[in-house]
Formats: sequence, structure tokens, C-alpha cells
Amino acid sequence: MAYNHNHEASQGSQNHAHKADIFCRDETRVDWHSKALWMLREKRDRAAGSIPEWEQLRQLGSEIKLHTLTHLAQYLETFEQNCIANSIQVHWAKDGAEHNRIVHEILARHKVKKLVKSKSMLTEECHLNPYLEQRGIEVIDTDLGERIIQLAKMPPSHIVVPAIHMKKEEVGELFHELLGTKAGESDPLYLTRAARAHLREKFLTADAAMTGVNMAIADKGAVVVCTNEGNADMGANLPKLQLHSMGIDKVVPDVDSAAVLLRTLARNATGQPVTTYSAFYRGPQPEGEMHIIIVDNGRTEMLKDKILAESLKCIRCGGCLNTCPVYRRSGGYSYNYTIPGPIGIAVGAKIDDTNSIAWACTLCGSCTYICPTKVPLDKIIFHHRRLKAEAGKLPYGKNSYMPLVGKFMASETMLNCSMSVARTALRILPGSLLKPFSGAWGKYRELPVAPNSSFEAWFKKHRSL
Amino acid sequence: MSSKLEILNALKLSALTNHPMPSIDVAPRGDNLIGQFETNLNTVAGTLHKEGGLIALQAKVDELIAQGLQVISLVDGVTANREVPPTAHELKDIDYAVIPGDIGVAENGAIWVNNKNLGHRVTPFICENLILALPANKIVPNMHQAAKEITLDVGEFGVFIAGPSKTADIEQALVVGAHGACSLNVYLL
Ligand code: SF4
Repeated sequence: MAYNHNHEASQGSQNHAHKADIFCRDETRVDWHSKALWMLREKRDRAAGSIPEWEQLRQLGSEIKLHTLTHLAQYLETFEQNCIANSIQVHWAKDGAEHNRIVHEILARHKVKKLVKSKSMLTEECHLNPYLEQRGIEVIDTDLGERIIQLAKMPPSHIVVPAIHMKKEEVGELFHELLGTKAGESDPLYLTRAARAHLREKFLTADAAMTGVNMAIADKGAVVVCTNEGNADMGANLPKLQLHSMGIDKVVPDVDSAAVLLRTLARNATGQPVTTYSAFYRGPQPEGEMHIIIVDNGRTEMLKDKILAESLKCIRCGGCLNTCPVYRRSGGYSYNYTIPGPIGIAVGAKIDDTNSIAWACTLCGSCTYICPTKVPLDKIIFHHRRLKAEAGKLPYGKNSYMPLVGKFMASETMLNCSMSVARTALRILPGSLLKPFSGAWGKYRELPVAPNSSFEAWFKKHRSL
Repeated sequence: MSSKLEILNALKLSALTNHPMPSIDVAPRGDNLIGQFETNLNTVAGTLHKEGGLIALQAKVDELIAQGLQVISLVDGVTANREVPPTAHELKDIDYAVIPGDIGVAENGAIWVNNKNLGHRVTPFICENLILALPANKIVPNMHQAAKEITLDVGEFGVFIAGPSKTADIEQALVVGAHGACSLNVYLL
């Protein structure tokens, strides 16, 4: 089937350029993908532009997150205490394995056979679905995009619009095969209605529901869950057992802080003024049970590095993916990590065994510029390159420049220079360095190279800085 | 050592230096709140009924019932043909739910709903169509103001609802009516 075309790119650990190359084989598809994402970027620009205080909100978002991250232990403990006062049961998990074990224990205790789930990048990160399925629990992703890729047996290719890489004809074919819709039917309204009917039955018969968390409000002991489809709330409010998984970075001090982030989240994601549903759960239903699992899974490790730490300000709006020239033309499966795009590089490069995704970036800075919490993505990505260089893990081949560049990347100069200097440096590097393995996403786009500079000249001039 | 302790201990090694909490002081755009609210409600695919209040709302409910539809009302002064059932699942065939909204937000068309007025928490999501009744003097300029005025007491559930449920997950085509209500009408009281 056609949708398997990109599936090849979704498997295994191959470097970014190789996977991008698979995606780029079909150039009209790449153009289509790029255009769809650019549309989101344009909607975002209109939404942001309509709010005169936009820049003030970005600054506030950044500072609220930074404040919380620098007082995280205090806020997490306050959050837990307040949850307990609201009859919410709180669990702590060091890593994905412990998270999955806790979730399974709760479900097993209640003899849960069927779990409805709304979108949660954290549970993707922990690979929860296969863990539960292997233990005999049916897991149903209920966000339409997630359900589509679940039925197609693919991982998400975007954090907000997970099936963005699929054409409606492919969805039609998939639904025809698995949900019994009419053959050849690809109208989005018809297909969405079919999914509504199919999933309604699942909601009504589920034994438990699970959601991610957009914000956890410390002083109330409440979690905020945002969706457009209403799937999180249809799920969590039918069965008597509800579970919510959150990274330690999701906590905010109070409702006022959440309000700031709610103002930018949807505007930056899809250009909507706010998500359709922003639900605040401050306790279980009558006779119900509510569990929150607080997960570290590498986040405290990230906090030990001043630059990487700022990636924990992210609120997962997906805006940086939509604006990224590399993501738009290489697709979500080329990153060797669950989360693609600039934020995927920021949080995934460290464990990227191909040591290539840190280079899937032109350092254009567009992502940093649009981020609602001012995550300094280009700075973080550049920092990852340096860390890889220091660890002797540069992805380059035997090109003559490579050893020099390796040293250069790890040098004190690059350690201390500002991003603007770094950008200049990279602009005047030979194209093969900027696109170290003839990056497939850049094949059809020559990047401007300053004509009168050479890398050697630049390096001589700056090595003494 | 418990995982909680391990995590809290690991946090002590953070490289970030303390950052103060900023004061959130955003100037509201306070002119013509109802007008702003209506524009944004339309943007999120909802419809506003400004005239007629409870009488218009009851007339609408009567009309729906006359069409043979199942309607439940949780708004004082509006009577419908269904009562709150013992279990949430029994709401599955509700065509229209009429629910009081507490606070409207002009900047984005969202309306805050608290579980005290829902019968079951799932009511505004499981109904085919949703009608919210909102006092006209309860529209605030923005989310900062709304954050101050919503109620969410110990153990409660509340939700900002901005329009009917929707999705654009198939090729970015907007489809109204995903898993929640397929339409939203708001009556100003
Ligand atoms: S890094 Fe910023 S732009 Fe990217 S997903 Fe996170 S919040 Fe959005």
C-alpha cells in the first residue's frame, strides 16, 4: 500500500540524510508536505500578529518556565501535596520503564482490558503502547491523526498533526480496509465521521482512559489537558479510572501562569485563538480514581547542562517543526527520535546513535524566533554539535576538511562565540560542511556561500579570539 | 531510595541559576467585549445569539423537542425532555445539551464551564450538539482576567470550551465535529 512508502523511513536507526533521502525520492510529495506545514506557519503568523502583546507573552512564557524550572523541586512537591488533598494519587517514575510498569500495575489492578488514550508525546517517548499490548491490554489512540497512524502501524511524524505525511487517499484506503468505509472514498468529512462513529463505540466501552498533560498547576493540584477534538475529555470522563502522564517539566506555579501559556499554545500551533477544549482536572469523578505519573526520563540530566536545560521550557506547540526548512523537506521520520524537528534535535540528539540529527539544521534561527517560550533552539542545536565533536562523534566522512572542522567545533572559540559568529562561520564553510553528507533536504536548494571568504581564512582570523 | 527522592536529589544538580517569577501584567483590550467575543466565537465555528435571552433559548429547545430530538437542560428556567441519568454512559443518545457557562473570554471565544452545572462531567462532550447560556455581563477581555474569575474548587473539573469539536488531521482540511459536540450555539442572557 502506498502509505508504506514512508514507513520505510520510520524504522531503524539510520542517519538523517539517508532517511531524508527516502522521503525526498518523491519530490511532489515533499513539495506537498512542505506546503501543508507552511500553511500552518502562515496561520500562526496571522494569529500572533493579531495580538499586540504577543512579544510580551513570549517573554512571560519564557520567564514563567524558567522560574519554574529553577524551583522545580519545590513546585513538584507542592503539586503533589495539593493533588493528594484532591484525592489524586501521584506516582514518580525515573524513566520510561518505571513509568510503563506503574501504568500497567494500575490497569492490572482494575482488570482493564481496553484503554482509550489521547495524545501524549511522553507515552510515545516511553513506548507505552507496545508495553501494554504485550500484556494483553488493548490500547486505542483516540486523536484522529494518532488513530490513523496507529491503524497504519506507524509512529507520529509530527507532534501536533501526527499524520501530516499521509494523503487523504491513503487514509481512505486504510479506513476502507480496517473500518469498512466505502472503497475509493477520500473526503475528509466522510472519513472523520467514520472515525467518530468507530471511536465513539470505543469510548463507551473503555475500562480506563489515559491522557498527557499540557500544564500541571502546582498551587491547585490540577492538570490541564488541551485538545481540539474533545477526545481527552470524552475518554477521561466516561470510565471511572483516569490516568495522566506528565514530564517533570510540565508543572507551572498557578492558573495565571497557565493562562499565559494557553494564550500562545494554540496560536503558535495551528493559528487558532485557543484549543477547543482546555480542561482542568482537579480530582476524580464521583466514585472515580485519578492517577498522575510524574516522569523524569532524562530531564534532570538535561538540567545539568545550562544550555540544554532550556529545552525544557518547551510546551510542545509544534511551531518550530512547521517553520523549519529542513523538517518541511525531510519529514518526521528522518530524525531517529520520537520527536522530530528542531525541538526533536534539542531533546533527542544526545541519544542519537547515528550522531547525525544535530546536523539536520541550517541554523537559520527561524524556530527560535517563533517559539512561544523562547527556547533557544539554534543555540541548543549548535551546542549539540559541539558536544558530539568533543565526544569524537562527528558524523562526517573522510573529506579533507573534516578533522579540522571537528577540532574547530570543539574549540574554545566556538565554545565562547556568539550565535551570530557561529552563523557566519557556517555560512562561509564549504557547502559540503554545511550539508555534511550532501543532506538530501538541501539537494535542490543551494545555500548562499559568501564568495570571497574561505573557511581557512575565517578560521585563521577567529582562532585567536 | 524512592524514585521521588532520586528525582528531587537530581534536581539539586541543575545548572540553571534562580530566575524570579515575572509579574503578569498584560493590558486588556477592553473595548466592545461582546463584539470581540462574537468575532472570535465565529472564528472557532460557534454561533452567538444576542437577543431574546432565556425566552429565545426555551423557544429553541421547544422547537428541537418538536422535531423529536433528545434534549437535556441544566440551565435554570429552561425545561427539556430528558433528565440527568444515573450513569454518564446513558447520555450517549443526547442530541442537544443546554448548559450554563460561567465566564466568556472576548479574546478567543472560550467559555468556562464548571462540573457543578454538568450533571455528569462528560455532558458537554458526549452530546451531539451543545448550547451554552452565558450572562452577558460575564464576558472578560482575556485569559488573564478569566484565570482570576473561574471557580475550580477542591476536587472539581472545569473546562474552557471554544466552539464545537474539530480536527484537521486529514490533509489539513478543517472538519467540524470530531469526538465532542458537532455544533455550539451560545445564548447571551
Ligand atoms: S520548542 Fe518552542 S516552538 Fe518548538 S514545540 Fe517547543 S514550544 Fe513550540
